[in-house]
Amino acid sequence: MNEEFDEQLRRALRPVDPGEAFTARVLARISPEPRNLRVRWRRAAWIPAALAASALLAVVGLHEWQQRQKEAGLAARTQVLEALRVTSQKLDLAYRLINTSSRPASDRDSGA
Amino acid sequence: MPKIEPREPDELLAAARAGESDGFAALVRLHQARVFSIALRMLMDRALAEDLAQEVFLQLHHSIRSLDSHQHLVSWLRQVTTRRAIDRLRRERRTETLSLDESPGLDESLGLAASERDADPLLRQHLQSLIGKLAPMPRAILLLRYQEDLDPLDIAQTLAVPVNTVKSHLKRSLAALRMQLSAGAPLDESGEA
Amino acid sequence: MGKLVGTLLVVSLVSLPVFAAAPPLGQLALPSLESLEPQAKDSVSISLDASLLAVAARFLDSGQPEDRAVKEIIAGLQGVYVRSFTFDHAFVYPANAIDSLRKQLHTACWQSIMSVRKGNEDSTVDIFICQLQQKARGLAIIAVEPRELTIVNIVGAIDLDKLHRLEGHFGIPRLPEAK
Repeated sequence: MNEEFDEQLRRALRPVDPGEAFTARVLARISPEPRNLRVRWRRAAWIPAALAASALLAVVGLHEWQQRQKEAGLAARTQVLEALRVTSQKLDLAYRLINTSSRPASDRDSGA
Repeated sequence: MPKIEPREPDELLAAARAGESDGFAALVRLHQARVFSIALRMLMDRALAEDLAQEVFLQLHHSIRSLDSHQHLVSWLRQVTTRRAIDRLRRERRTETLSLDESPGLDESLGLAASERDADPLLRQHLQSLIGKLAPMPRAILLLRYQEDLDPLDIAQTLAVPVNTVKSHLKRSLAALRMQLSAGAPLDESGEA
Repeated sequence: MGKLVGTLLVVSLVSLPVFAAAPPLGQLALPSLESLEPQAKDSVSISLDASLLAVAARFLDSGQPEDRAVKEIIAGLQGVYVRSFTFDHAFVYPANAIDSLRKQLHTACWQSIMSVRKGNEDSTVDIFICQLQQKARGLAIIAVEPRELTIVNIVGAIDLDKLHRLEGHFGIPRLPEAK
């Protein structure tokens, strides 16, 4: 009875993966891209304040877009690596199955 | 059936300590479910849990050179995550509770995907809801016992509390959960029915 | 004249969907395996077409030998698709879905290059390549293990030697030493 309840608790508390997007966000925070964006401001008196504010918003928007692009790129990179890992793992499985099939039974039994 | 394992965790740690970003990324992927799940079940809020989990990994990145084995890293992650979560709960004095009527929506509120639900979703949701009503310390102890499969001594070391405190909390929490499941009695903050 | 133009227009409109929608050679229509999601402990679903592979390539550092190696591997690819499910217990094998996939692998350019079955481990791995005019156009793997089902479809010419050289990095398993 106790064991059953313990098992129910373990199943209820099975770890939940937050997904690849989470990984990408962590990695993006750890290695921020160098700021390549340089903005020169000309503080000419004749530029209306509204225009300056719009330009600022565009810069912020662009930076956010770049951040999103970076996150998407990192996520895609992660997925490529995962896909290659899975592919290699299954190729190795095939190799292993063939290898253990081709070894003589006496070798397999003795653990050689 | 033996499974082909990916790169050994100690190799990943060595690579991360040497500054290899892919080693660190692999460690994040290896442990993000653990860290996120502890945070999620402590804070009962997906956005806060993701935030806390990210902070833990950032801290790991800063501290990685001080960790000398993968086992040490795992202990460190458990310790940092649970202690941060407990501190957060105590700071905010989160007393939000979920009534049984709300519990069918728990998966949606925590943002769980269909693949994360098992064959008995109602029982699982109910248990998670009840665990979420425990006070921070007994909740953390239960998570370390049943999510992380630690024994009371390890739990005591992780949380820096006496082992008898751990055993006592476990006994009371489990009794209260069992009673709550069978009788539907409400749970108070100490974990007693 | 008007009738001829009208006819040509109709013909071109009818033809359009055929040219617009045809997937590249070597790409399979992967089955929907949603029925496995509730049973699965973990699942991996990766769909990277040519544009996403290009995005990923931009974030691979050519200055790092391992990243460079991955970049070389994916340079010749038009798509990478993976569906993988891991279970706590024996799972209900989606026979219809896998059969429909196997039917595609018995048509056009596809040929089986390896088919391994290990009865006492309940594991099977089938590997297919799509080849046209002496060039590899795709790779497909169907791996069924007691608690895991994996389908891989790689579109384009993947260099397995280069993949082999990546072992030990990025979590890619090392091939056990041949004894």
